[in-house]
Order: sequence, then structure tokens, then C-alpha cells
Amino acid sequence: MAVKALIPAVEDLSETLLDARLRWKRLAERKARMVESGGLARDIERDVQIVEEYIREGRFQRSLSLIAGISALLGGLEVTYEHYQGSYSQRIMYSPLVASAGVAVAACWGVFDRRVARTALPIASLVLLGDGVTGFIFHIRGVARKPGGWSLPVTNVTMGPPLFAPLLLGTGGFLGLIASLLRREDDPLPSGLPGLWEAATAWFDKPPDEFSAHRRSGSAQAEWSRIRRRIREGRFQRILAGATAVSALLNGMEALYSHYKNNYRYRVQWLPILLSPVIAAAGLGAIWNRTIAETLLPATSLAAAISGLVGLYYHLRGTLRRPGGLKLPVYNIIYGPPAFAPLLYSSTGFLGLLASLLRRGD
Amino acid sequence: MAIGRQRAKEHVAGSPNGNITSQSEQGAQAAQSKQTGPDTTMLPTNPRTGEPLAPRAQPGYYPGFSTLRQQAFWDEATRNVVLERVQHTPPIRFFSPEEAQLMESVCARILPQDDRDEAHIIPIVCRIDERLYAGRIDGYRYEDMPPDGEAHRLGLRAIEAIAQHLYGVAFVELGPGEQERVLATIHDGEPPAAEDIWQRMSVSRYWMLLVQDCIEAYYSHPYAWDEIGFGGPAYPRGYVRLENGLPESWEVNERRYEWRAPSWAISGEYQPMGGGDTAATPGQEGTH
Amino acid sequence: MMKKPVLGRMGSGLRTPKPHEHMLGPIQKISQPMRRFDPGEEVDYVIVGVGAAGGVLLQRLARAGFRVVGFDAGPFWDTERDWVSDEAGSYNLYWNDLRVTGGSDPLAFGANNSGKGVGGGTVHWAGFTPRFHPSDFRVYSEDGVGADWPISYEDVKPYYELMEREIPVSGPAYYPWGDPHGYPYGPHPLGGVGDALVKGCTKLGIGVVAGGPVAITAGSHGDRPHCIYRGFCIQGCKVGAKQSTLISHVPDAIRHGAEIRDRCMVSRILLGSDGLVTGVRYFDANGQEHEQRAKVVLVCGYSIETPRLLLNSACSGFEQGLANSSGLVGKFLMAQAGNVVLGRFADLVRMYKAPPAHALTEEFYETDPKRDFARGFAIQTVGPLPIAFAKQMMTAKGAWGWGLRQVMMDYNHWAAFGFLGEILPWEDNRVELADETDQYGLRVAKITFSLHDNDKKLVAFGVNKTMEVMRAAGAEEVVQEPRYAHLIGGARMGNDPRSSVVDSFGRTHDIPNLILCDGSIFPTQGSANPGLTIQALAARTADYLISEGEAVRSRHTQTIIRPPIRYHLSPASTAGRGVPRLRSLRPRPTIGAGGLAPGSKG
Ligand SMILES: Cc1cc2nc3c(=O)[nH]c(=O)nc-3n(C[C@H](O)[C@H](O)[C@H](O)COP(=O)(O)OP(=O)(O)OC[C@H]3O[C@@H](n4cnc5c(N)ncnc54)[C@H](O)[C@@H]3O)c2cc1C
Ligand code: SF4
Repeated sequence: MAVKALIPAVEDLSETLLDARLRWKRLAERKARMVESGGLARDIERDVQIVEEYIREGRFQRSLSLIAGISALLGGLEVTYEHYQGSYSQRIMYSPLVASAGVAVAACWGVFDRRVARTALPIASLVLLGDGVTGFIFHIRGVARKPGGWSLPVTNVTMGPPLFAPLLLGTGGFLGLIASLLRREDDPLPSGLPGLWEAATAWFDKPPDEFSAHRRSGSAQAEWSRIRRRIREGRFQRILAGATAVSALLNGMEALYSHYKNNYRYRVQWLPILLSPVIAAAGLGAIWNRTIAETLLPATSLAAAISGLVGLYYHLRGTLRRPGGLKLPVYNIIYGPPAFAPLLYSSTGFLGLLASLLRRGD
Repeated sequence: MAIGRQRAKEHVAGSPNGNITSQSEQGAQAAQSKQTGPDTTMLPTNPRTGEPLAPRAQPGYYPGFSTLRQQAFWDEATRNVVLERVQHTPPIRFFSPEEAQLMESVCARILPQDDRDEAHIIPIVCRIDERLYAGRIDGYRYEDMPPDGEAHRLGLRAIEAIAQHLYGVAFVELGPGEQERVLATIHDGEPPAAEDIWQRMSVSRYWMLLVQDCIEAYYSHPYAWDEIGFGGPAYPRGYVRLENGLPESWEVNERRYEWRAPSWAISGEYQPMGGGDTAATPGQEGTH
Repeated sequence: MMKKPVLGRMGSGLRTPKPHEHMLGPIQKISQPMRRFDPGEEVDYVIVGVGAAGGVLLQRLARAGFRVVGFDAGPFWDTERDWVSDEAGSYNLYWNDLRVTGGSDPLAFGANNSGKGVGGGTVHWAGFTPRFHPSDFRVYSEDGVGADWPISYEDVKPYYELMEREIPVSGPAYYPWGDPHGYPYGPHPLGGVGDALVKGCTKLGIGVVAGGPVAITAGSHGDRPHCIYRGFCIQGCKVGAKQSTLISHVPDAIRHGAEIRDRCMVSRILLGSDGLVTGVRYFDANGQEHEQRAKVVLVCGYSIETPRLLLNSACSGFEQGLANSSGLVGKFLMAQAGNVVLGRFADLVRMYKAPPAHALTEEFYETDPKRDFARGFAIQTVGPLPIAFAKQMMTAKGAWGWGLRQVMMDYNHWAAFGFLGEILPWEDNRVELADETDQYGLRVAKITFSLHDNDKKLVAFGVNKTMEVMRAAGAEEVVQEPRYAHLIGGARMGNDPRSSVVDSFGRTHDIPNLILCDGSIFPTQGSANPGLTIQALAARTADYLISEGEAVRSRHTQTIIRPPIRYHLSPASTAGRGVPRLRSLRPRPTIGAGGLAPGSKG
């Protein structure tokens, strides 16, 4: 079993069902006792470190899970009224509602419950991801079926089904999936999970070839396992940075054509459009470059998170200022500036921040 | 209120605009200007400076906007219909040459185009002639009206009679200000002459027939759409920006300029038709 | 001259239809050949006029397996080839044959009233589809004016729900007036005029709904695309977003074996010696006269042509016109007061964008005892294109000459509201035959129409209110044009053969197998646009006819009061679309069957 094999260092902890926090406590106590007695604390030191890494990854797991849940929720709310604008004229238009609700519930629940994070979350996430891709195809077809089809791309993409919205929703699923692959501090050892998940996570734990020398030199076992953890986290970090880039780009496209409708009447409408490529560049850069990951990515992500909130303000204000204002609440929420879109933008920012907090392989 | 008669009287007594040049002289001036260049008295003016505004290819507040330039985005059937309208001027077949000439000068006052350059004049009379020749009607005739063709013929005779009655000169010989005054008597529902004709048809309905026919010719032309900033045909490409009067990416924003009708014109002010009884002249267009 | 589409290949991107393809929109087409009945064959049903009502009946009866032939005086439109996105070019959509109009407030026809061609008036309607209010069915009992219907709102309600799905109608999830309900398709975005209406109403504390109810798809509907907000609804929607029975019901009818003989003008209904009608005589496209025998004749020619055809079919036994023993054929003709209120705004509006029909208020619909007149009115958005707008400026402002040119340059600053006021049925408002004849040698209709006291008061009050709303919306200058819209009546329904022409299913009291079904059978008109109710009643009549079967030829008295609703007869594309909706907030009526007697409250 991959997981079992990969964690020989904690084999001495026989209480496999205890969660990491408990293990950490016990280890800490043991360490203190050893230090008191002046014994060799090195092994314990190592164990403490491993368990701490566990806790760290667990926290990321929870955060990511939360972000996935929230973005699925926001995306779901958005699609609810976006599809209402299209009158649910096909039954399949209900599917993203169900799928995003699934991820929202699974991911938020998964923050507290390991079992849900391991079982329902990946399934729900895969469904949402699949739904996003299906929706993308349907939206391409939808634009094609508008009068003039793809020969009038500007008009038909702006007025037709929003092309990238399904993919944006799909990123929620993607994040959920990643979250379900991250380890948690309360993971039991051995995991006892079906082989599928282990196979999926195995890649994260498989070190590149150049490290095989390290591995063989049994002397630096502690060092080795530390490196491996770094590699694992680094991979997640890269994936998240990539996801941030993609999500920023999709968000930017959405803003581009929905703000186009309004002829960019307010200069602030350019903000998300101009910011998105920068975040995307930072996210992509962060995959290869550590400096970017540690500077540009958090900076732009923070900017995105803030600009989302600014957008929220303007969108709410715009909704209130519409003819009829609060007298036509449902209508003005549907046809006013979408309230959830800027929040979705913020959540991209948070994703980027999270990515920049993760440690890197290098 | 007998605005029309009053207006005509005022003029005969002494022009309300202090413009007493002999009518026929003015007419000759206008005719002459056709050869020598624009007659500036015919032009609308800048109200601040009083300067005449030179004729333009495209009057209106949307400079550079061209619906015809968008024709690649129209469907074929629409493109054919609109281009046919722009490119083809039907010959006069219903009106006699004299009637046609009179009709020309009448329509030039109903929808004056002196602010348009020669190349961008929208033909009107030939469109009306085409409709009457083909016998196309709007699906009904008022009880108190003869058939459309006959009504137009009678109307022209009446206009001529009013011109003779007020000024003793043929309508086509009159200056534009006098011509407007003749027409205004019909607009106001108080024609001072041709009683026999008005026995046979309703004054206000004839006026509506005349003006509506001119409107249909003028405002169905892409040049007129450009002038008023209307988007023109819109299929398969529809609109994206529906609210707040925002222009599409291919439309242009309004750029207003001030202008006023030429000083001799009374049609620049708005007076209710038929002396104000609008209920007697209900609209005839479908809207909802 | 030509500009290249951005990021696109040259051309509008429309597929050129193949020569044999009959297109009903950019995608929808009639793919199989239409059935043709033998000229000598007796069919089950002949339908005269495939318009709002005729289209629905044709589809229902064909789907139920009957042999049906629909006649229409106009063409069976190919929307891609025949229709244009141009105001003047849409002349052919209207019934432009001569009619003579008179009275003290004569009605305008042509573009202002009837359609000609398959789809009839739905081809060029704006598509407003509000339901009638429950009170509309008992105007006499409630207000002592007009007439009661022989049926109640509850009889029509299931058909409203059904037709709203079939059309489909887009509108708010909660519609507050009359019998509150929701719509199966979502509301549309507002255009500049809708903004003005919502703003004005909100400012005055008047309830208003945005985005519907309109017979325009907000979302694709099978092969019919989502509306593209191009504002040419009244010129025929080439997109196929706005419903006409041509695109919503006729394709299904053809698929189920109905035949349509277009460009065929029915000139006379033939009566047999047994007192039953035997078929119709008609002129084909070449002016040749033919006969078509049928077991049942349905006349759906609308408020002018239906009475005209009956009057023109006078014969021995019916010297005053077929089925006219009551003398009421052609009487009680109605139109709604359809004044257009125009307001000029400092900012641009560009009212040519978005469908003309997209927001309304029915806040003043019902009789208010505080006013000095009975019944009420609605205020709706309209969106006149340049020619219509110029004509409105002529009537409303008296514009001509330089003044006309100048106000037209401000076209984009104006918004227009449509007032819609209920005018009561009066016997002297009527359709008769003039002495003049048309191209077929048939006597043309002569229409007499005059306003009465209640009508005038209602219009004066309502137009003022509408102008007030326009001002509240921020207009600097507000003018109005008097106008009339929507023909109704001319062959009213009722229980008493002496005071009505047909029963509630449209069956004439005089001749069992002659059925009238269109706008002409309404006893009153409410201040809702009639199109939805016309279609709902057609679906109801279809259910009735299918239930009656052969018996419709023999029985004179009706026994079926509430035929079962045949949901399975909806066109194929109806099921599985739209949102779950609010069905009703009213309790079911306690009264058993339909046929409310005058005076009873439902
Ligand atoms: C500009 C405009 C806007 C409108 N907007 C709305 C709106 O927003 N909402 C609404 O509800 N209503 C609206 N209407 C009204 C609506 O169009 C009509 O009420 C409706 O179409 C009437 O339906 P019908 O079935 O009674 O007759 P129609 O739909 O008019 O059908 C009659 C058909 O019968 C045919 N016909 C008649 N006589 C003969 C004959 N002798 N032989 C063969 N064929 C014949 C005609 O060609 C026609 O096709 C509008 C009307 C106009 C003019
Ligand atoms: S506005 Fe919509 S419904 Fe009206 S014509 Fe255009 S596409 Fe059709």
C-alpha cells in the first residue's frame, strides 16, 4: 500500500487511528521527557517535524476545501440566475445547480469531516468538473445556434450563453478535487481508503528521478522524508498557482464581455479585465519561478481579492440604482450587475494567496 | 383657432419675418441657386451666429455613422430590399408632368432637404408615385375620403387653388415662405380656397395622407437613418447595449449642434394639426 | 462601403437555405412535404384563416388525427426569404385589401390591425401576452356595463397555463394582477423604454413588472433561438424568437398531416339543404374559384373578415347573413384605446433596441369606484421605429417641414408608452358590407366606430395618468397621439341565441357544424392584449370539438361543458422546458361547471 510504504518514519506510532494532533501532542510530551532525561531526541525531533508537516498540509486541505466550497457556492448562485435568464429552456441547464451544490456541501462539510473530504468531495468535484466541460461545449454550441452563429462572435458571445462561465464553475470542481488529494492531519494510517484515491495521490508523493540517490543513501532518512514532503507540497503549490492563473483568465474574459455590454461606462470596469492577465501571468510564472511565487503572486492575488470586493460594492450599488431599485428586487438582481461575479473574482485572489503560502519543492 | 388663415393674412399684410421680397423673385432666386450654388436663404442657420449652415452629406448629430456600411451584417432579403431602395429611382407614372412638378415643390416643403448636399437628397415624389401607380393602399379608406390616388390629385389642385387665392401666383412660383404658408392652411385645417374639393375630402385626413406618404419615403431611406442615429436593419446581428442609450460598437455617439429652421419657415414651430383637436386625427400606425 | 465583421468571415453568417427548404427562422424549417388532399375529397375540418386561433386549431385537430385543411388569404411565409428587417419593406405582412372605415372615431386598419398570411396577426403583433382578469368575464355583473361572458376565468385558466407553455411566454416569476401567477420562461432585460416605465411607475408608487409577459423566448426553445433584442417584432420576427402560430404550431400541424392552402381567399361558406354547412368556396392564388367540402367549417378570420364572410355568405334561409338570426353578426365590434404617449428625455434612450413589448403595469386595470367611469386600462412599453415615430410626431406635435426634420433628429431622445384602455361593446360599432367590391368581386367591409361617454372619460383619465408616469420618469416634454388597437368582437358569444351569435366554444347557435373561433367571439375585451386569450380559447374549442367528434354535426344543444384538457396535443417542443412556476394563488372555484349565469359571482 503506497501510503503505508511511504511513511515508514512514523511506523513507531502504532496508534494508527489517532489523528495527527494527538500524535503531535504525544510526541511533544515524549520529546520533553527525553530532553529532560538527556536522551537522544533526534528521532523524536524528526517525528515531530513529520507530524507538523501533516498538520500544515491538513490546514491547506481545509482552506482549499473551503475555497472550493465557496467558489462552487458562488458559481452555483450565479448560474442559478444566469440560467434563469435563459429560462431553463433545456433540462440540462439545471445540472450545474445540482453539481455545484454538491461540491459546495461536500467541500464545506469536508472541512470538518475527513470521510466526506475523502469520499463525497472527490466524486462531487469530478461531477462538477465534468459538468463544467459539458457546459462549455453546450455554450459553444449555443453561440453557434444564435442567428449569425460564430460569424458574429462579438455579439453572440456577449449576448449568448457566457462561454467561459461553465469552465469557471468547473474550476470549483478542480479545486475540490485537489483538496481531496491533500492529506489531512486526521488521516488514519494506514488510510484504508480505496485504491483509487491512493493511486491518484501517489503521483504527488513520487519523487523525481534525481532524488533516487538520496533515497538510497539510507543515512539521511529524515532528510529524505523532508525532501519528499517538500516535493509534494511544491507540486500542490504549482497546481494551485496554475489554477489561479486559469481562473483569473476565465474571470477576466467574463468581465470583458459582460462589461462590454455596458460600454465600459465606468472606468473601474476595466479593473478586473486588466488585472486578470497580470494575475494569470503571475500564476503561470509561479509554476516555474520561485521569486514570482513569493512576490508577484501574493501581491496580485491580494489585489484581486480586494478588487473583487470593490466590484461587489459597485455591483450592489448598480443593482440598487437600477430603475425600480429595491421595488423590483428579483428582477434587478437578475438583470443588474451580477453580485456573485466579483466575489468569484475575490475567491480567485484567495486561491492565489493560498498558493503562495504553500512551500515549494525548490 | 384659425391659425392658418391668420398666418396667411399676416403675411399678405406684411411679412411676419420682415421679408417682403416679392414671392416670385424669391422663387426665381431659389431656382437660380440650383445652378450657381446653394442659396443661403434656404439653409437652416446657427441660432447663435445667425450664419447659414452649409449643406452636408449627412445632417444630424451622428457624424460618421453609416447604416449602409453595416450591410455585410444584414440578411440577404433585407439587403436586397434596402439596396433596391437606395439604388433604384422609379420613373413617374401616376402623376402627370405638371402634377409631378407641383408635387415636387410641395414635398420639398413637407420634408425640406436644403441642408443635404445634392448627392444625398432622398427622393420622395417618385416613391409616392410608385405606390399610387401600383395601387398599393394601407388596407382602408376613410368614409370621407376618395381613394388615395384621387385624393392626391385633388389635394394638388386644392394647393394650387390656395396659392392662387392667397398670392395670385402658381405654387411652384412662390418663395419657400409663401409655399409653407399655403400648406400651413391645410395643416391648420383652415384652407381658404377650393371649397368644392374639401367637400369631397376631409382636410385633416388629406394632410395626414400627404405627410405620411412623405415620411414613408424619407424615413425608410438609410440616409435618414444615419441622420437620426437609428441602427437600421438588425438581423442576424441584434443589439448588445439595450439601456441608457449606449451605442453599439459600430454605432456612434451623439454630437449635437445647434440649428434653427431658415428664417422664412413657419414649420419650425409646432402647431397642432387641425387647430388642436387631436382626437379627430388618430394615429394610423401599429405599435402594440 | 462594406465593413468586414470583426473576427468573422464575410457575410452575416446565415446559412443560405437550399431551394426546397421552407425556413421558419434561422434554424427551424419544415422538413417534410405537406400532405395534399384530393380536390374532390370531403375533409373533416376546413379552417378559414390560419392566424392566432386558426393556427392553434389546425395543429390540435391534425394531431388528434383529423383531416384538416387550413385556408389563408395570404402566403405561407418563408421567414428567411419573405420577411425583412425593415419597416417599409414589411408592408406585405398586413391585410391591405380595401376596407371602408367611418364613424365619429374611425379605426385605422392595415399595419394597425390585421395580418394576412399564415400566422395572421401573430406575425406582426408585439407579443404582449397578459391574461384577462377574472373580472373581465363578468363585466356586466360587476359594473353594470358591457356584457358577461358565458364562461368564467376558471374555464380558460388551464388553457392560459397550457398556451403560456406552448408559446412560450416569458415574464416575471410573480405576476401580481388579476389571478396572480408566474411564467414558464424568465423575464427579458429592459430596454430604454422599459427603464423609463419602471422609473416613472416606481416614482409614483405604481406597481410595474419588467421583462414580460411577452410571447418572446428568453432562452432558446427547440429550434427557436433566444431573442436578439433587435426591436423589429412588429415587422415579423425573422429570428423566430417572438411567437407566431406560423412557427409555434403550424410546423407541428404539417408534421401531423394538415394541409394549408395559402393565397386562397374563402369567398363563401356553403349551406346544404339540411341546414348544415357543407364546405367553402374559395379563390386560389391564380384567381380560380374552387370548392372544398368539409364536415365542419371553422371560421378564424378575425373581427372584420369573419363577420364579412358570414355576411357575404347570405343565402336563402339566412338572408341577413349566415348564422345571423340574432342580427348581431358584425355588431359589438371593439377596439382598445391605444394612445401612444411620447416623452423626450435629456439623455439618449435609443428606443429601437429591445422588443417594443417588455414592461407593463396593470395597476389601473379594474374598475375604481372613485373614478367616474367603469373599467380600466394598462400602460405598456412600445418602441416605434423611425417611420412610425415620425407619423406620431405629425399627429402628436403637429410636426411637418423643418419642425419634423428637427424633432426626428432627436429620435433617440424619445421614449414611448402604449396606453391600453378598455372600450365597451356598443351595438352601433359594427361591421357591415359596403357597396364597393375587392379584387375577387366580393363586397368589402364597412366599419363604423365611435367612442361613447364611458370610453371618452376612461381615455382622458388614463392618458393623463400615462403622461404623468412619463413625466415622473424624467421626460422634459410629453405629448400623446390618440390611436386604437386590437380589434375584438363582431360575433359575440353567449348563452342566449337571441343576444349572441355563438356559444362559448364558438359554435354558432344557428348552424351546428359552423364554428367561429377568433377575436370576434369575445363579448368584452378587458384592457389586456387579446392574443393569448384568443389562442387559449382556440385550444379549448379544439378540446371541445375532439370530444364531440361526429356529434358536432347533429346536436344543436351543447352537452359538454368542460371538455377534458388534452395536454398531449401540445406541439412536440413543449415538454421539459422552462422553470417550475407559481400556478395559482386563488382557491379553486366552488362552482361546479362553467356557464355562469349573469349575476352570479365566481
Ligand atoms: C401592430 C400590432 C401589434 C399587436 N400587438 C399585440 C400584442 O402585443 N398582444 C396581443 O395580444 N395582440 C396584439 N395584436 C393583436 C393580435 O395580432 C390579434 O388580436 C390577433 O392576431 C387576432 O387573432 P385571430 O386569430 O383572431 O386573427 P388573425 O391572427 O388576424 O388571423 C386571421 C387570418 O385569417 C385570414 N383570413 C381572413 N379572412 C379570410 C378569408 N376569407 N379567407 C382566407 N383567409 C382569411 C387572414 O389572412 C389571417 O391570416 C397586435 C396587432 C397589431 C396590428
Ligand atoms: S426583439 Fe426579439 S422578438 Fe422582437 S424581432 Fe427582435 S429577436 Fe424577434
